[in-house]
Amino acid sequence: MKRFQLGEFEEIVLLTVGVLHGNAYGVTIKDEIEQRLNREVSVGSLQITLRRLESKGFLKSTPGDSTESRRGRPKLFFEVTAYGKKALDYCKESRDELWKALPQMVLNLK
Amino acid sequence: MKSVEPPRFILRFLEWFCKPEYHADIEGDLLEIYDRRVEHWGRNRANLHLCKDVLFLFRPGIIRSAKIHQPLTSNGMIKSYFLMGWRNLWKNKLYSTLNVLGLTFGMVCFLLIGLYVYDELNFDTQHSNAERIYRVITHEKSPNNEATTVAAAGYMVAEDPTQTFANVERTTRMQRIGRANLVDPENPVNVQEAITVADEYLLQVFDFPLLEGDRRTALKEPNSIAITEELAMRIFGRTDVINKNLQFSHMDNPVKITAILKNHPKNSSFTFTSVLSESTRYSNEEFMREALSDWTSQNYTVYALLKPDANADSVSSKITRLVHANVTLEPGTKLSYNLQPLKDVHLKSDGIIDGARNANVDPIPQGNPVYVTVFLFTAILVLLIAGINYSNLTTARASSRLKEIGVRKVIGAVPGNLIGQFLVESFITIVIAFGVAVLIVAVLLPSFNEFANKKFLLFSSVGLGFWAAAAGLIIAMGLLSGGYAALLLSYFKPVSLLKGLVLKSGSDFSVRKALVVLQFTISTVMIIGTIVLFRQVHFLNESNLGFNKDLMVVIDVNVGKARSNFDWVKNEMSKIAAVEQVTVTSHVPGDWKTLVRVKLKKEGGSDQLHTAYVIGADKDFLATYGIELLKGRNFGNKNDTSAVLINEAAAKILGITHVSNEAVEIPQSARGSSFAPVYDDINASFKPRVVGIVKDFHFQSLRAKIEPLIIAYHDNPIYPIDYYSVKIQPQNIQATLEKLKAVMVANDEREPFEYHFLDEQLARFYIEDQRSQTILGWVALASVVIACLGLFGLATYSAQQRLKEIGVRKVLGANLLSIMALLSKDFVKLVLIACCFAFPVAWFGANWWLQEYAYHIDAEWWIFALAGVITTGIALLTVSYQAIKAALMTPVKTLRSE
Repeated sequence: MKRFQLGEFEEIVLLTVGVLHGNAYGVTIKDEIEQRLNREVSVGSLQITLRRLESKGFLKSTPGDSTESRRGRPKLFFEVTAYGKKALDYCKESRDELWKALPQMVLNLK
Repeated sequence: MKSVEPPRFILRFLEWFCKPEYHADIEGDLLEIYDRRVEHWGRNRANLHLCKDVLFLFRPGIIRSAKIHQPLTSNGMIKSYFLMGWRNLWKNKLYSTLNVLGLTFGMVCFLLIGLYVYDELNFDTQHSNAERIYRVITHEKSPNNEATTVAAAGYMVAEDPTQTFANVERTTRMQRIGRANLVDPENPVNVQEAITVADEYLLQVFDFPLLEGDRRTALKEPNSIAITEELAMRIFGRTDVINKNLQFSHMDNPVKITAILKNHPKNSSFTFTSVLSESTRYSNEEFMREALSDWTSQNYTVYALLKPDANADSVSSKITRLVHANVTLEPGTKLSYNLQPLKDVHLKSDGIIDGARNANVDPIPQGNPVYVTVFLFTAILVLLIAGINYSNLTTARASSRLKEIGVRKVIGAVPGNLIGQFLVESFITIVIAFGVAVLIVAVLLPSFNEFANKKFLLFSSVGLGFWAAAAGLIIAMGLLSGGYAALLLSYFKPVSLLKGLVLKSGSDFSVRKALVVLQFTISTVMIIGTIVLFRQVHFLNESNLGFNKDLMVVIDVNVGKARSNFDWVKNEMSKIAAVEQVTVTSHVPGDWKTLVRVKLKKEGGSDQLHTAYVIGADKDFLATYGIELLKGRNFGNKNDTSAVLINEAAAKILGITHVSNEAVEIPQSARGSSFAPVYDDINASFKPRVVGIVKDFHFQSLRAKIEPLIIAYHDNPIYPIDYYSVKIQPQNIQATLEKLKAVMVANDEREPFEYHFLDEQLARFYIEDQRSQTILGWVALASVVIACLGLFGLATYSAQQRLKEIGVRKVLGANLLSIMALLSKDFVKLVLIACCFAFPVAWFGANWWLQEYAYHIDAEWWIFALAGVITTGIALLTVSYQAIKAALMTPVKTLRSE
């Protein structure tokens, strides 16, 4: 059943926001994904994904203070909502189910 | 450390396209990353990456939407109109379905008929010079005022007129010369084909599309031939056969294929599959001698391409003068020419004899302007009925929407808003209906094509204009009918609306009544039209033609041997057990081909010349066809070359009452326009004796009156035999045909066996009528269905409106029948009034159409009565469903709310 619409990249972003707990804004999220997953992330795709997740209700954002390093531009901090947590839970569970259902032989073959 | 400034333009670009609420923090992120990159990579590379990042940000989701800067009102309103419209349609599924169904029905009819009419009206327009091309028409009047109009002229008329006339750019002449055998010398397979001869300018005046070859030179050289791809496929099995040779069965030299023509479209007056260059004939001295002195033969179809600013009338009077300057006419004969525009050839050639048409040539598609007009009208009428339906249903529903309208008005909607709302609603309905209609048309198109003998594509480049026009017309119709409802609904006073006053049967209701009457008038007229058409076609098929058309096999004679050796062939055929009788003729009765006409007079009588048709036949003709001999004798066994039989009509105009070997004279100089130059050696007058008079029979279509006819002996100087007519027995027809074929092949193996059944051939006269009958029948059905859909909607509505009244009546003891009568009465009254209007209209229409036939049925009273009963019956059925439903309802339910 498709209860939560969560794409692969969306899932990664959502998880990363959770990982960064309290310090998740554009730059940190980008850095975190790039370091941990060793994959290039463009500002454009990250921003789009963040906004989409926010509009779906998985994330909520709060503007932070402006800092010198950003020439007066505010940071926008993201936080996983309860609904977002549910989505992640669902995601993990459904994956686990599938893993469990995988016959042993198939795994051995790998 | 002083920070490095990023390029300003790129940030401004970001600011320009980015949603304002996103802008600040995205820019912050970008700058933070930028600073880091400058530190890491240096300024230039950081700049480059920044540009890249911004460009990647330029995507939907981040780009600000354009409408934020526009005033909210109009867009928002239209959006809300659509939303409200959609909801309203969805809420009233019954009415919406009725509306869409009715409109769809109407549109499907309209589109199919429209395609047909469009095609008929656009005949021959595919030539880029079509506007400037004219066909030369000869008008001839004999001393006794017999007038003929022939679409042909003499050879010399087209002989380089650019020298003579300033306004003619080019002329071309063509002649259809009958059938010939065409053979590929390398792989001999006989193909019998009608051959057209044309001069080198044919392909320049007309731009028939060429697959291969040069149109300027293709028909220049002797022994050149241009063939269509279809013929190439038949002979060679492929189309890249340019420069290959073809052999004519009766010619010494092979001809070279110099051009491959694309197949003609269905809406073309040209049907030829091969064109032989006229120069092939130039070496024939006899032909040239005749041709160069031929001003009046009417053996050539001549087309003239005029210069852009030329006046057709002045050119045609020049032609007339030119011809008069070159020939001396018999006293009393009048001869004049005019130019018929190419676009008129298909529909406006009524009464014009296609004189250059020779024996054995396929007929050219000839349109009937009456049908085109009738179809155009019916198409528009059906659309009108559908439109009426729509506005009727919409206004009828008005009172259930009165509260909505009232609230809207109180909130501040001006009439404009409401009209907008209703228009959008009807727009949605129409677009849905149009979409469904186009789908249905797409599905029906293949079978429609087959039936109408057309080749329509749904969206071909030619048809785009048609589709644009049709869509425009349909939407205009829809908006008009929607607009009427919109206007009506938007002008009520809000206070009375909110008080819940029911819309009284005021002016709008009588308009609605009038519209219902109009709908049913149209439907009834169409039903009557269909019945009359059906009866007439039936009459034509069944009427006594004066000869026997059943079980008659007509076999074409193509090769000379079948003609000269006919005695042997006849004999062999007679030996077949299933063959009752065989005869040879030059034409067969009821032939669709142009019959030969001659001029003649009674010997010793006045010098007045009469025109008569000629059929050549042998002594078995009368018996085989069952034609009655009234006086005199049949042809005898001995050589009767100079004997003729005449029909009653001929006897009347010649004044022959007793057959006492009276002679008629057919002067050579006055042989008819369609005279086929077969026996050229006879220069003297042909003076046969009349040996018998036969009863009149219909040797032409029943559209024409029976004309004077001469039946000459088969061995006559006018026309050779061309057919075997074989009367067979009904058993094992296929086996009989095989045996007949064996005889023909035994006589000459090159002779292909071409045959048809006479009754099927005769039916081709009326194929257009039959087609129209079917089309009109379907349209009539559709119009009745549409009108009934409307009636059904109105009845449903009126039953709903009167539910309480019905409840009360039932409680007080009314029975089912009286309630049904109560509800049906009004509608049936309207339908009856419609019949009263329809009858006279249909009567005039039917009589007008029937005039076209020399032999026709009468528009009898019972046809009208039947049509009336049909419409009233269908209407009654439609209404009574609702009436019964309402009458059976438990009154408790309807009255509880009070």
